Amino acid sequence: MSRAVVFGGAYAIAFFSFLFGPLIIMVITAFNSSKFPRIVPWDCFTTGWFAELFGNQRLMEGLLNSVIIGVGVVALAVPIGLAGALALSELPSKLRAMLYTVLILPILIPGVVLGISTIVLWGQISRGLGGAVQAGMYNGYFLTIVGQITFVSAYAMLVFIARLQRFDATQTEAALDLGATPGQAFRKILLPFMAPAIGSAAFITLLASFENYNTTVFTVLSESTFTTALASKVRHGTDPSLSALAVIIITITLVGALTNEAVQRRKEAELGGKASRSPLYANPLTRALTHPGVVFAILVAIVATVSYVGSKHDSSVCEAAILQDKLDRQAELRAAQKAKIEAQEVEQGITVPKPEGGFGGAFGGLGGAAPVAPAAPKPEGGFGGAFGGIAPPAPSE
Amino acid sequence: MPETSPVSSPDRSVLLDHVSIRFGNFTAVDNANLKINSGEFFSFLGPSGCGKTTLLRCISGFSEPTEGRVLIGAKDMKGVGPNKRPTALIFQHLALFPLMSVADNIAFPLEVRGVGKKMRRKRAEDLLDMIALPGIGDKKVSELSGGQKQRVAIARALAVEPDILLLDEPLSALDLKLRQHMRTELRAIQQQVGVTFIYITHDQGEALTMSDRVAVMSKGVIEQVGAPDQIYNRPRSSFVASFVGENNALKGIVKVQSEDMAALETPMGTFEARVGGGRKYKPGDEALLFVRPEQLVPGKAENAFQATLSRQEFEGATNHVFARAGDTDLRISMVNGGLAGSVGSTGDTMSLGFAPMNATILPVGQIASEA
Amino acid sequence: MKHVTRAYRALANRHGMGAALFVAIAVTLWVVVFITLPQLSMLDYSFRFNLPADQIGTEADHYTLSNFHSFFFNADGSLNRLDLVILGRTLLAAAIVTLIDVIICYPIAYILAHGAKGVAARLMVIGLIIPYWINEILRAFAFRVLFGATGVVNTVGMQMGLWDVPVDFIRADVALYFGLSYAYILLMIFPMYNAIEALDHTQVEAARDMGAPLWRVHWRVVLPIAKPGIVSGATMVFMLTAGALAAPQILGGPSNLWFTQVIYQWFNESSNWPRGSAYAVVLLLTCISFVLLMMRVFKVSVGEIGK
Repeated sequence: MSRAVVFGGAYAIAFFSFLFGPLIIMVITAFNSSKFPRIVPWDCFTTGWFAELFGNQRLMEGLLNSVIIGVGVVALAVPIGLAGALALSELPSKLRAMLYTVLILPILIPGVVLGISTIVLWGQISRGLGGAVQAGMYNGYFLTIVGQITFVSAYAMLVFIARLQRFDATQTEAALDLGATPGQAFRKILLPFMAPAIGSAAFITLLASFENYNTTVFTVLSESTFTTALASKVRHGTDPSLSALAVIIITITLVGALTNEAVQRRKEAELGGKASRSPLYANPLTRALTHPGVVFAILVAIVATVSYVGSKHDSSVCEAAILQDKLDRQAELRAAQKAKIEAQEVEQGITVPKPEGGFGGAFGGLGGAAPVAPAAPKPEGGFGGAFGGIAPPAPSE
Repeated sequence: MPETSPVSSPDRSVLLDHVSIRFGNFTAVDNANLKINSGEFFSFLGPSGCGKTTLLRCISGFSEPTEGRVLIGAKDMKGVGPNKRPTALIFQHLALFPLMSVADNIAFPLEVRGVGKKMRRKRAEDLLDMIALPGIGDKKVSELSGGQKQRVAIARALAVEPDILLLDEPLSALDLKLRQHMRTELRAIQQQVGVTFIYITHDQGEALTMSDRVAVMSKGVIEQVGAPDQIYNRPRSSFVASFVGENNALKGIVKVQSEDMAALETPMGTFEARVGGGRKYKPGDEALLFVRPEQLVPGKAENAFQATLSRQEFEGATNHVFARAGDTDLRISMVNGGLAGSVGSTGDTMSLGFAPMNATILPVGQIASEA
Repeated sequence: MKHVTRAYRALANRHGMGAALFVAIAVTLWVVVFITLPQLSMLDYSFRFNLPADQIGTEADHYTLSNFHSFFFNADGSLNRLDLVILGRTLLAAAIVTLIDVIICYPIAYILAHGAKGVAARLMVIGLIIPYWINEILRAFAFRVLFGATGVVNTVGMQMGLWDVPVDFIRADVALYFGLSYAYILLMIFPMYNAIEALDHTQVEAARDMGAPLWRVHWRVVLPIAKPGIVSGATMVFMLTAGALAAPQILGGPSNLWFTQVIYQWFNESSNWPRGSAYAVVLLLTCISFVLLMMRVFKVSVGEIGK
């Protein structure tokens, strides 16, 4: 059996390396001054990409749009999801399976299809209505909210179904028996019971709305949300400010996950009656320290301190040195190339070096030459630079 | 009715008027017809699945009878929802609201009737005093012990002074000691508040000790209604005789009946006994003779017969003796007679007898299986 | 309909008129206005010509099969290999990605359900969830960082002397397959985990005790229990992969389009909505038929999905 344990452990480590490796590498690239996100070679430690990120007008506008849309989606998808879960709870089993299939379908339907069908339908409706209604209806905000609700509500519903399954129906009966109207029983018994689920459904729907690309990229029309702005930035050339964004999101996630863990642990200890016995909760100091609020505050304080220190970091001297180094190296290369070509011209007359050969030569030369900065800023730039070095003889063909 | 008549107590009776409840082809309750008197402690006793909970839900308004009527305080309850009936139900698992404090639980019936916060708090504290748990109003439900929860559930049910309190096996989740203690307490509370208690249980001990009257149910049918001692001593059907308390059943053929006494011929001999349920038998009819373990007396001359002692179980105050006569296993309960009271050892032959008045002849019918 | 009204009445009795009305309205709105009507509208659109606004509603505006026809055939009547191949390749690639996910996720789901205890299990769950808090686009970006021409894989590979010219992982779709396999792992693991967790661990021990080798224990004892979870997870992963747009746009090579990208082009670059709608209908129908086929093959119902 121990062989299985060793294998299992090794596999788990490999699996989680696959999950976290790309993220960790991305995080590291956020602090490298190289204009292309990479780890090796390392130029300078910098925090400049964060400033660059916040200076991105389009992303920041998208963020605001995403918040507006997210609030709208949460406000509608959570009640709709709750209604779906309640409806399923009262239907006879055959009809329930049918409705469940219909309601869960939007999660499975390609987001592209949802986006298209949304703009087609509402395009037709608003064209039919015309005028001010058309303007109010046929815009990126409205369409995106409507389009996202279609499937985001299903996420909310799944959360509510799970919670409802744990509801003891005699609670409602008890309330009715004690004189509550059905409405009062709903408001005073069922809804409070559902409250935590409402919270997590709101969170999940907000996240799903925020994250969504496939549907939104169609429905948002000429506006952009945070995610669509991000996507278009990634598609049109990347730089490490995106890595900086990843750092921010991962940090928020970790703080959230750790705080949540503290909440869960405490709740479990209290429910299990272990709280009074556990030494961790008996000691007033450790008890206070493990309080979710305190955990959260400490984490936020750490993040704030690190951010402040980081924002004071100045990498311009190092970057200038790197740049100078690069320029020197380029000049050196150019000179060497020139000398070589001149020598060749002298020897063989005019010959055109094959581009591939040029590439290989340029790279080979660089690779062997230095551990720092093999290429200029962007990959294309790098190639271009290499070409540039070889280019002069070409026109003489 | 004028409001200024505190002397005349309200009508807290429940009348089940030929009530039947069916689910599709299944009859859960078959023609229940009885009256529960105002202020009575009334129990429905029966094995699980006998229809007693269905009947209770019908009285509390969670379901309507398929046939017949339910009258509470002489008013027909047809179409009256559970929240509009003067009944309060204590659920089997109590159904206390875990998200509310103890005081909020107790005051919930007042809250939904629009009573102000101060009044609610006052009433909750009064009720907590009544159940002898003062000052726990701000605790969470999860912090209470089993017995405390029980009492809080009762206090909550009594908060708006219902006419009828329905209890659905509320003691079944408690351990034995607490259960016995709560029996006394329930009875005391009932006498204090004067509300009609309708109690559902499969535990005959609970039914017999607490109730004014008991209805024994089996398979949807009410077999017998009566005071506990009547149920125990004068069963009217073989089910009641076998379900309530321990009983020995001897199968035989009626030889002769005169008024309420009859002679039954069994493989062990012919015995004389009382005829149960006022029935008439022809000679030659098959019947069962029930005699309680404590009524079988060694050496008694009446209805005497021989048996072989198979084993004994000593249980302090009582000694349970098991014997075999012919192909019938018998159970005999003997009061511990001190060191002198030994009846013999395994394999010994013993002579047993019983008084005709303390045995009952009943028609062959359903025998409650051992729990 | 009788059942619907009965369910409505049950709701009203239990939760009150207001709640019942709210449920009825919200669910109707969801099913009719948000789910059904848009699909019908898109279907309707796919049978229309791409007309300028002033011609809509005129005689020229009538139903046509031309959009579907031109998906299957070129103008000269030959098969439209370009689009058909893209669709076929998309489905095939999605199926491969799904299969990869099933294989890499199964051991983890099993370890999580029956191997890991206490803190380790907790950490694993957190570890599985955290990557999914991070934006889909950024996750794709991470793979671009990894596999780009100056990415970590290339620099490390070249420094180790494994290859001396940067390999174009993007053009070769390696980055895309990695990115897609990565993207929906969580949706594969959790249904699998839920199914496997229901297995009584003593069954595994009993089978081992009787001398069954590990692989046979899994094949005969664990897999049958895990099957509904696997199918549920596989359905979600397949549908989401086949319908993915961001990852192919970011990680896909310029010459190998994903079918969603073709749809995207018809809409956003050619402004031919009817044609785009027709392609969307084709995608939807093929995906659903594919999934239904798989469910029939593996004998699992739709009701299992999402649990």
